[in-house]
Parts: sequence; C-alpha cells; structure tokens
Amino acid sequence: MNEVLKLEHIQKYYGSKGNVTKAIQDISFSVQEGEFVGIMGASGSGKTTLLNCISTIDTVSAGHIYLNGTDVTEITEKQIARFRRENLGFVFQDFNLLDTLTISENIALALTINRVPADEIDGRVREIAGKLNITDILDKYPYQVSGGQKQRCACARAIINQPKLILADEPTGALDSHSSQMLLSAIQSINETLGATILMVTHDAFSASYANRILFLRDGTIFTEIFKGSNSRRTFFEKILDVLTMTGGGVSDVC
Amino acid sequence: MYAKLAFRNIRRSLRDYIIYFVTLTLTAALMYSFLALGLSPDILAMTENMSMLTTGILILSALIAFMSSFVIGYAVRFMLGQRKKEFAAYELMGMEVKTVRNLFLVENGIIGGVAFLLGALIGTGLSGLLNQVIQNIFEVPHTYRVLFSFRAWGMTLFFFILMYGFGMFRAAKVIRRQKVIDLLYDNQKNEEIGFHSLLRSVLTGLLSIAVMVAGVILLEKGLHIQTNEALLYCGGACLLILVAVYELHRKIPVLLYLLAKRNPQRKYREENLFFLGQIGRRIQSSGRTMAVVAILLTISLTTMFIGLTMGAGYKANMEAYYPYDAGVAIDAPLTKDSMNSVLSFVEERCKVEDSATYYLYTVPGKAIEALSLSDYNRLREILGLSSVSISNNEFLVHCDTWNYVDDIQQRLEQQSEITLNGQTLTVAETPILTEPMEQYQMAGTNGYVLVLPDKVASQLSGEKIRLVMKLADGGYPELRSELRQFLNSGAWLPDIQPGQELPEKMTMGITVKAWGVANSLTGFTTLSFCGLYLSIIFIILSCSVLAFEQLSSIDKNRKNYAVIDRLGVSSQKQVALIRKELSTVFFIPLLFPIILTVFLIAGTQLLFGKSFLQEGLVLFYGMVTILLFCAIYLTYFGATMFLFKKVILRPKIR
Repeated sequence: MNEVLKLEHIQKYYGSKGNVTKAIQDISFSVQEGEFVGIMGASGSGKTTLLNCISTIDTVSAGHIYLNGTDVTEITEKQIARFRRENLGFVFQDFNLLDTLTISENIALALTINRVPADEIDGRVREIAGKLNITDILDKYPYQVSGGQKQRCACARAIINQPKLILADEPTGALDSHSSQMLLSAIQSINETLGATILMVTHDAFSASYANRILFLRDGTIFTEIFKGSNSRRTFFEKILDVLTMTGGGVSDVC
Repeated sequence: MYAKLAFRNIRRSLRDYIIYFVTLTLTAALMYSFLALGLSPDILAMTENMSMLTTGILILSALIAFMSSFVIGYAVRFMLGQRKKEFAAYELMGMEVKTVRNLFLVENGIIGGVAFLLGALIGTGLSGLLNQVIQNIFEVPHTYRVLFSFRAWGMTLFFFILMYGFGMFRAAKVIRRQKVIDLLYDNQKNEEIGFHSLLRSVLTGLLSIAVMVAGVILLEKGLHIQTNEALLYCGGACLLILVAVYELHRKIPVLLYLLAKRNPQRKYREENLFFLGQIGRRIQSSGRTMAVVAILLTISLTTMFIGLTMGAGYKANMEAYYPYDAGVAIDAPLTKDSMNSVLSFVEERCKVEDSATYYLYTVPGKAIEALSLSDYNRLREILGLSSVSISNNEFLVHCDTWNYVDDIQQRLEQQSEITLNGQTLTVAETPILTEPMEQYQMAGTNGYVLVLPDKVASQLSGEKIRLVMKLADGGYPELRSELRQFLNSGAWLPDIQPGQELPEKMTMGITVKAWGVANSLTGFTTLSFCGLYLSIIFIILSCSVLAFEQLSSIDKNRKNYAVIDRLGVSSQKQVALIRKELSTVFFIPLLFPIILTVFLIAGTQLLFGKSFLQEGLVLFYGMVTILLFCAIYLTYFGATMFLFKKVILRPKIR
C-alpha cells in the first residue's frame, strides 16, 4: 500500500511574544492509500487546526506534511489552487453547497473547475449521484432537499475528481441520527468500493466507529491511536468509548 | 457612552460607509452648487426671465430629495445587513430595541452631518465653476468667484434633511420590526431561484421590442408635428420607450441566462457554471432594481445629451444670429439717408459706438445677393475681423453656414467665372470666407453672399438696405420693440431711391442681441442646467443603488467564493470572476440606455444637425455626454469592485 499522507513533527502556534497558544505541539503520523482515518478529541485539542494544515487552508509553524510525496508546507500561494484541485476533496459540517446552483450543478462545479470536457460532465455526475443515491434530487436546489441529501451531494462533489485524500470536518455535525447513519454508510462505501482515502475529524464516537483507525488528540498531541482491525463496528465503537472515557470525551448512543 | 460607541462603530465600519458617504456628499455638493446658482442675485440680474432657472432648480431639488431618500433606504438596508449580528448581540445583552435604533440613528446622523458639511463646502467651490459657465454663456466678463449664500445653504439643508429624514425614518422602522432571531440567522436563509419559461421570456421580450419600435415611430411623428399635438405624441412615445426599456431589462438577462444554461458546452466551460449561478441569483433578486436603474439611466443620458446639445447649439446659433448688437433690415430700395433718423433714434437711447449702412445688391438672374467690397470690409471691421482685398476683376463668396461650404466650393471649381453687366469676374485666390456674419438677414438672405468690387456692385440695383450698429454695453432688450414702434410710426419717413418704387409689402427685420439673449438664451440655459443637474444626480443615485445591491449580498458572496477557493480556483481566477460578475451587474442596466442614446445622437444629427450653425456640435456633445457618464459610472464601479474584492478575497485563514 502507498503512503498517501505523512506528517512529520507538525507544530502550530498562534499569537506572538508572551501570548502564544500552542494549538498543535508535535504530531507525526501517516495514512496509507485507501485508509479511513478518524481524528477525535475534545474541543481545543487541535483537530480542526490539524485538518486545516493538511488541507492547505492554514500553514504550520514547524514540521512537514507530505501528500503523495509533495511537501504541502512548501507549496507557494500560486500552486495551492492547482494542488487542491488535483489532490483534495472537502466535506464540511455546513455542507458548503452553492444555493445558486442545483444539486447536479454543485457536483459538476468540481469537474468544470478541473477542466473536464463538457460532454463528459453530465454522465459522470449521474454516475456518482447513483452511487450516493441522490439521482432523484439532481435538478433540485439545495434549499429544496434535506440536510442528509445536501451532505451526500457535498460528498459527491468531494469525490468526483477522485482526489488523493478526502478531508471531512464533522460531516455529521448538522445532521439528525438517521441522516448521519446514511451519510456515514455512504462514506464507508466510498472508501471500500472506490478505494478513497479519507481523513475525518469528528467528536462523535458513533461517526468515528465507521473509520478503520482513530487518532485521539489531546492538547495538541496524539494521545493514543486505535485500529478497528477485524472487530465489528459495535466492538470498535465500545473501544472508542473506552478511550473517550479515559480522556474525558463525550458519549453518543449507538443504534 | 452611546455616542462613544457610535463613533467607534463609524470608525470600524468606515469601509462599508464609504460609498454611502461619497453619494451623500456628492448629492449635497450638487444640490448646494445648483441652488446657489439658482438663488444668486448676480445670475438672476442677468436677464428678466432668469427666475425660470430658480424655479427649475427648486422643483428638481425637491424631486432629487425624494429620489435620494429611496437610495438612502437601499444604503440602510446594506448597512443593517452588515451589522445584523452586532445588533443581535446588543439586544441579547439586554439593550432595548429603541436604544439600538437610536445608536444607529446617531451614527447615521454623524455621517449625514459630516457629508452635508463637506458636500456644501465642495458645492461652494463647484458653484464658482457653474457661475463661470453661465457668465460665459451670457458673454459676461468673468473670473472664478464662489457663490456663497445663506439662503442656498438653508435650502440645501432643508432638502438634505427631507431626504435623509425619510431614509432614517425607514431605517428606524426596519430596526424596530426586526426580531433577534432574524438578525442572528437571516444570512443563513436560502434564496429561492425560479424563472419564467424561456418561451414566456422570448414572447415578452419580442412584445417589448414592438412597444419600443412603436415608441420610436410615435416620437418621429411627434417631431414633425408643429401643433401642440406634438407634445401628446412625444409624451406617449417616451412612456412607451421607458416601459419597453423596463421590460427588456427584466427579460433579456433572464433570456441570456436561460440560453447559457441550456448549452452544456457554454455552461460547463471553465468557471462559467459558478458565474451563471452568481448571475442567476442577481437577476432573480435585483432584476427589478436593475430595470428601474435602466430607466433612470435612460432618462439621465437623454436629459444630459439634450440639455448639453440644446444649450451649446443655441449658443452657437445665437452667436451666428446676433453678431451685431443691433440691426435693421428693410427689403426696399431706400436711400442710405433713410437710415439716419433710425440711427439718431437709437443714439438717443444708448451710445452707438460704430455703425454701417449698406445695400444687399440684387444679382440679375441669380438667387444670390451681393455686397460691395467696401461695405463687406466695414462689416468685418465692426465684427473685429481683418479686411480683405480683391482686384477689380475678382469676386469671392462669404458663407458662414457650414453645411453649404462644400457645395459652394464644388460649384466654384466647376464655374470659376461669372459675368455681371458684361464684365467677367474670376474667383479670388481665397474663394470662400466663413466667419459668422449672420447671412439670413443682414449679410445676405440665403446663408451666403457674393462680394464684388465696388465698381461692379455699384452697377447693380440695391433693393435691400441694411443698418448694423455696435452699441455701448451691448444695448438693452427693450430696444427691439422701441425700434419696431418707431419704424411703424409716422415719425420715420423712408426716402426712396430715384426712379424706384416702394414694394407693395415692405419686409422689415430688427435684431437686438440683448433681446435675443434675454428671451431665448435664458430658457435654453435653464433647460440645459436643469438637465445637467438632474442627469448627474440620477447617474450618481443609480450607481449607488447598483453598488449597494452588490454590497448588500457581500456575505453570501464571500461564502460562495470560499467554496470555490477550496475547490481549487486560484485567487487570480476569483478576481477575474468578481470582475465579470460585477461588470455584468453594472453593465446590464446600461444596455438599452446606451443603445437609445446612440440612436438619439444619430437621430439628432440627422434631423437637426444642419440646424446648428456649428459643425460637429451634436456629435461632440454626444461624446461629452457619454464620457461624463462613463467617468461617474466607472468611478462607482471601481469603488464597488475595490470593496467587493477586499471583502471577498480577505485571506481565509492562510
């Protein structure tokens, strides 16, 4: 298996002189191709900062991040857009869909930005929509569909260009439990059937239980790491809860 | 405490307030400068009818105050949108709605007060320029002198309070009615996008074009009617054209949007999909505003063009019609002594500095009159022109009507000799002279005249006699009626040339420049100044509305641009997209106003171009109109673009 993502001694400080906040102290880990990694931790543990640094939205104070061999921390402003286009897919808590475009157009937008020929676009949008079960709502606008459908549309937009890494920031944060479950199944299916590499930040143990590996952050460092291995999702969920209890994290019901 | 908070808020929101502040300042500046002009005793003393200008400017100021209050309403909507969360925080902390409202009103009061003071100050400076322009029109010796008037300040303040008060009243109402939940979550609400079908848009578009064509036909008919019925035709035509402009600006953007979305090749090309989404929302939410702006711009551009052309055209014609302070033209074979009593009559009323009595000679078999070289040179001397000379067997043509010159030149090239009473004359080395000389009454009656050696002219019959005078201080308007009365009374006894008879009907003409200025130039100056006042303010207001329409949705736009930023669209591409989006919104309402203005300029040139006695005047003022308009429009566009770019491309963490 190829190593898609590698972090080496990442540090991130905010503020200056006498008022420095260490959001990330020293984090190193790697993600293999096709892995579904969850990042958990309490508020202020550095989850979102870490995701922002990996996704080139924020810069690191020290250390290196390699994505498919490219050092993300060395990328210039000019190269960022192209790098994101070709390597990353994003799924956000608040969907970030454009309400000026239909669901189909929101998905197609990622393709047009990647200069995919116009005559291929509709076919590819329909194909991915079929996989995520949103074909019926393709001609609707975001305000006409449910939160779960919106998030599946966001997933479709994130994976349609087959990025090297999909970054999901609390993707179920704005969804009810049923929609969350449907979305997580969809993400899992993307990971398993399409071989997509996924890095998901969540504070919800139930969501995290869909991942293959969980990194627990505390005070800007990796506190511990657990693997699903051959365990069932329920067993893995319980393991997650154990760790959370140890670290003082929250608990969510499993259904 | 609240005043301190208000000051701090202004400082913090300075960027948001800048377009609002500039608009208020410009409106106050223009209002003061025009009111100062309309109320200036010096200007009013120029002619008897100058009070027309005061009335016009006062009426327009009231109209402008009314229109501006709507624009202030727009601005307030934008500012409230920008600060919803802040107001919600105040209310959540327990501040009463009344206090929040007062805080906002104090802030706006400070901004309005500063804008008024600055505007009135700029207006005072501007009034000096306008004063010079008017004095130049009336040919009064002038230097730059500002017009300071307490009355104008008072009136400007009154109109300013009127427009600002109304705007603030609306703001207070909006704040009072907004609930905390709306303030907190309003920017998360979705806009619904829905358009009529393509067929319906096409049909309405075609119908609008038909209405516009009908309007143009009606206007063309109206311009050829000499009775009051013309007003009905022209009024109806303008109404039809404006209705068509409104509907076309509602339908054409929708049509183009729907067509672009139907074509996958166009829709999916580069960032077009995002751009279409942005524009679709704009058309949906601001379509009506853009159509109203299109109407305002049509009115502004046409008013400015008509005002400038009328003013300049009439001035050009006045210069050509009244090169002499006073003149008497009698189409009868009288002796030159007949004019002595006329001269004495004028002399008794005002000092005659110079005068000339001469004949317009009849050229046998030709529809042209002739002047003797010595009379011609006397006229040139009175007009301050250098004298010319021709030899005894030469002639020249004087033609001050620019559109005849080419024809005459061609004719002279074909026929360079004429024979009069058996003597052949050849055309002089300089065949045509063109200085303004008034050639429809005084120095000819057809727009041109032959200039002959004295000896040749004296052999012709002098059947039309003329007297021109240069008067001290240019004379006075009433001189015309006094002269008319004198010539028609028994006091003046014409002396007929020996062997000639008085015609059955004797044609008499009297020109007095002071009368012409007082009775005609005033009206046209009023028209052009009022036109300019109205059009500039309308353009400023239209631009402000467009700017605020853009800025009021800036948060939503920022969110959308953040999405494509994460999808990998470079900053340069985002700037290009912002430029494209803003250009489209700013230039859609320009479509028909510009087309109609170009048609108006071409139509005026075609129908009336030759009536203006200055070549290229219509096209020149057409260009001035478009350039002046572009200068204002592009300034607002640039300012909006700057703010838009600054907010939308604000670094997103990185």
